Parts: sequence; structure tokens; C-alpha cells
Amino acid sequence: MAKIDLVKLRKTFGAYVAVEGLDLKINDGEFLIMLGPSGCGKTTTLNMIAGLESATAGDILFDNVNVTDVPPHERNVAMVFQSSLLYPHISVRRNIETSLRHTTISDAERKRRIAEAAKMLEIEPFMDKLPGQLSGGQRQRVATAKAIVREPSVFLLDEPLSALDAALRLSLRSELVNLQKRLGTTTVFVTHDQVEAMTMGDRIAVMNSGRLEQIGTPDEIYNSPSTVFVAGFLGSPPMNLLEGDLAGGFFRRGGLAVPVQGPGGKVTLGVRPQDVVVTEATAPGALPVTVYAVEHLGRESVLIADDEHGSKVRALVAPGWHARVGEKLGIVPDPARCLLFDTNGARIYETVARAA
Amino acid sequence: MAKRSIFLYLAIAVAIVWSIFPIYWFCRMAFLTPNEIRLFPQPFVPHVFELGTLYNIFGYDYEYAAGFVSGASGQSNQIIRGVFNGLFMSGIVTVITLFIVVPLAYVFARMEFRHKEKLLFAVLLAVALPPVSTLIPFYSMYVQLGLNGTRFGLIVVTLTITVPFVAWMLIGYFRNLPPIERLARIDGYSRTSCLLTLILPLAKSGIAVAAVIAFLFSWNEYTYALVLVNGTSANTLPTAISGFLGQYPEPGNLAASVIVTIIPPALFAYFLQRHVTEMSLVDPVR
Repeated sequence: MAKIDLVKLRKTFGAYVAVEGLDLKINDGEFLIMLGPSGCGKTTTLNMIAGLESATAGDILFDNVNVTDVPPHERNVAMVFQSSLLYPHISVRRNIETSLRHTTISDAERKRRIAEAAKMLEIEPFMDKLPGQLSGGQRQRVATAKAIVREPSVFLLDEPLSALDAALRLSLRSELVNLQKRLGTTTVFVTHDQVEAMTMGDRIAVMNSGRLEQIGTPDEIYNSPSTVFVAGFLGSPPMNLLEGDLAGGFFRRGGLAVPVQGPGGKVTLGVRPQDVVVTEATAPGALPVTVYAVEHLGRESVLIADDEHGSKVRALVAPGWHARVGEKLGIVPDPARCLLFDTNGARIYETVARAA
Repeated sequence: MAKRSIFLYLAIAVAIVWSIFPIYWFCRMAFLTPNEIRLFPQPFVPHVFELGTLYNIFGYDYEYAAGFVSGASGQSNQIIRGVFNGLFMSGIVTVITLFIVVPLAYVFARMEFRHKEKLLFAVLLAVALPPVSTLIPFYSMYVQLGLNGTRFGLIVVTLTITVPFVAWMLIGYFRNLPPIERLARIDGYSRTSCLLTLILPLAKSGIAVAAVIAFLFSWNEYTYALVLVNGTSANTLPTAISGFLGQYPEPGNLAASVIVTIIPPALFAYFLQRHVTEMSLVDPVR
């Protein structure tokens, strides 16, 4: 068990800045997700926590002890790598045993831990096989067993589920969360998959271009994004982000007029597809759009339409809803559910919906 | 599909004929008696299977069942020395090559350091250099150093061929191994123990094939051997065989010597075929 503090952490590769001024507090026993597009610095950050990459500047503290210069195996961390990396030429049992090389526990204790981990992850039938003889899901379980036998203070997982098929990913997702809650070990999980992030994490840290955009519970991240990047990155179908002008109590973009208040000038209005209503093209204040496609998802359907400026706008509609491609319609956002962002992408919090 | 498989089998047939026919040709020649070899046209298949030429090249007279005797070849001293020198020097070259190349290839394939690209280019340039281009410089240097006609001298020259070539091959192989170094660092292996206890066992197929290639390069090496050691006590089998093409050609003995030459490669190919196919056909990962 440990809490982790990252203080002004910075990592550069030559002239390329991978991580910039990262301050992050990870609570003891927490399941923290680091989410972001590829190249955002999340894996580099994880590698720095593990000790595989040295920090260019800044400090890493485990339980207030500075471990910035401590080699990986002395940090008492366990790591599961992308596509569940194992030593391919030695058996599953010996793969798990190598995790305990640097511990001073007795042979009996060693055996007990391995047996326990094997039982917990249901890998007993293939302890003597080579990793190459296992399926992707089995390898993932072995990699997890290899991590937990060390009884580490921190688990680090680098996109462990990304190479698996969808059904397996679904079941292993809940398995991992269940295991983490039973063991209560502080866990950092790196992913670019927003569904994994939303479903697994106690908190999500969203990163972009080496910087932390926002950290919060899945609910906070989804419902109250603090930047336009977070707003656009989470949610499927994604949030509609419309650039326009705010003046005189209205957000205006072409024919669209949304009664919201805030500081005047150029802003971006964000509204999720479930928070808009589809109406006639001639409805006052509606955004005039042309139907581009309708996607039927069973429980709901998504209307994708082009507005006058050519941006795609998405709206959630009832499952049986139909429209011809090319048909003219109007879209009216719910002012109470609209978010405003300034030109730098930061949220404008003083937004208030006005009675129209 | 049927059409494709016809062409596939045709291609396989051509490849087999291409590689088997020369072997058939000199095997036939080795078994023909001295009289038959002078006939025209020569028989397609020898009538008697007697190992006369093999006796002759190792310095023994042989009495054929038909009653006549073929005498020991005058080249036999060279052939016997060639076999021993060849095995000895190729063995040493293989061992030294591996000792140099395995760490070198590992470092180039798996680590980042300054000027890596330029250094790698230097290694690969040596592969592209034809042996003939360095032949004269080596010869004049060796004469001054007194190294011409010595086993040591030939071993050093052969290493200049095997090291870059095998390095070039192994760098690619090491690059394709899974990134287990990261895992090893979490498990507390040092760089050296990771290489010795994890990477080497994992890469044994590639290293075995590298050893074979180094051995065969050295065993077959002709250009340098011809100029530096031919006719001395350090001569190798390829140069000894070329002696049969001299003033009194002995085609039967030449063919028998060629059979001796292909025995080591044939044995290697047989015992290491599993490693060879594993290395070239499938990704070594997982």
C-alpha cells in the first residue's frame, strides 16, 4: 500500500517534451486511470513511476519517501506491460517465480504465494506451459499473477487489455477491478480506451500533449469537463463542440441562438448528443442542419448531420426514428446542459442558462 | 487454386533440380572409374559403387574389383591438411565471431547511444566490401609482418568477413525479440544478467544459425586462402581442391574432394534445420 505523489515531473527526449510539469496525487488504495490519446505522455509517466525511465526534472514520492533515483526492483512495484509481456522461453511457473527473485521470503512462503496467485487467477492447469501455448486472455491472467505474487505496494498496468478481443476485454475488465478492490493495492492503469477508463477507475487523469488536463471521478470528468479537450475526448457519440460568438445573452452561430450568459466574445459551446432536440429546420433559434447519416444502435439511434459551416453535429434520437439523407432539419440544444469554453479551451464556469 | 498449385509445384521442382543436379553430377563423377571418365558420352549412372577416389585423395592406392589399381593422388597431403586446417580454423573463427558479434549485435539492436547510426553504417559497409578490394593491402601487409602462410593470419582475415556479416544478420534477429528487458528490470535483473540468463536462451536459434553461417563462411573461404596460404602448411580444402585443375587434371579425385567439402555443411543443415526454419519463417516473438 502506498500513496504516490508526482511533483512537477518533467521528461524530455532530446528536444521533444513528453511530460511537462505534472503534479499528481494518487491516494492509497486507489484505482487511478491515466487516459489520453497516443503520444500524450501517459505511458512515459507510468514508466517514470516504475523507474524504467528517469525523470528529467521533478520528484516521485511513495508514502512521502523520494524514490526518484531508486531502481525499479527496489520500489516494490509490479508492472503488467502492453499485450501482457512475459518471458517467452520459460514456463508460466518460472515466469511467476522471477517476480520473487529479490525478496527474502522463505521457500515455503514463496510456494504459498505462487499457489495462491495461481488459484486466484485460475491459471493452475497451465503452470508448466510456455506463454506461447496460452491464449491472450490466459497470458493476461499469468501477467497479473506475476504482478500480485510480489505483494507490491503499487500496481502499474500499461494497456494490458488492448491486444485482446472485445468480449474478453469486457470480462477481464471487471475481473481486474474486482481483484484490485479485494487486494486494495494502489493501482495506476494506462489506457486510451474511454470505456475502460469510465468503467474501471476510481478517478481518471486525462492527459494531452504531456500535460494533465483534468483529474476527477468518472462522473466529474464526464459531466463537468474542465477543458474542451476532455469534453471532446470522453463520451460516445462525442460531445458537439460548436464555435460561435457570445453576446447579448445569446450564443450565436449562424441561425443558432442559445440563451446562455457569460463573458462576451468568441467561445466554443459544448453539448452532448443526448441534450439536444431535433426539430423543424424553420424552428426559431435552431441550428439548421442537413442529414448526413442515421446510425441505429438498438437502444437508441444517432443522427449525424452537417451544419451550415460543414461541421458534423450529432443528436441522440428515438430508436425508430428515420430521416432521409439530405433532409433539412433543425437542432436545438438544451441551454441548461450547455458548457462554454474560451478560445484557449478552458471552461467558462460562470455560465448560466437564462430563461428564454 | 488448382492453377496456383501447379505453378507452385513447378517452382519447387525447378528449385530442387537446381540444387540437386550439381550434387548428382559430382557424385556420379566421384564414382566413375578412371576408364569410364574418359568415355564419351559418360555413363549417366556409375556401374560400380567403389570408393576408389576417396581412398586416393587421402593418400591410399585402391584396387578396383575389376583388377586394376588407381594410385594415391599427389594432392593427398594438401587435402588431408586442408581438412584439418579447415575444421580447426573454422572452429576458431566461429567461436571468436560469436564472442564479438553477440554482444555487438545486442547493443546495436536493443540500446540507444550516440552516433549509433553512423557506427551501424560502418559495420554494414564492411559487409558490402568485396574481399578482392582488400586482398592486395592484406597481402602486402602480411608479407611484411610474416603472417602469410600462417593459420593465425588466415583466421584474422576471415574474421573481417564473418564479423560484419553475422552482425548484420543477428542485429535484425535481436530487434525482433520481445521487449523483455523492461520486464527484467522490474524483476531486478542487471543488464548483464538479463543478457546472459534471459536474452541468450531466448535467442539460441538465431545464435545457432549465426554460428553455422560463420563456420561455413570460413570453411568455404577461397579468395584470401588462395593468395595467402595456398601451397603452404596452412592451406585449406578449397585451395587444395583447386590443385586438381592443374597440369594433370584428376576429375574423379576433384569430385571426391567436393563430397568431403560438403559433409560439414550437410551435417549442420541436418541437425540445425529446426532452428533455421524457426529463425527465418516465423517471428521469434512468443
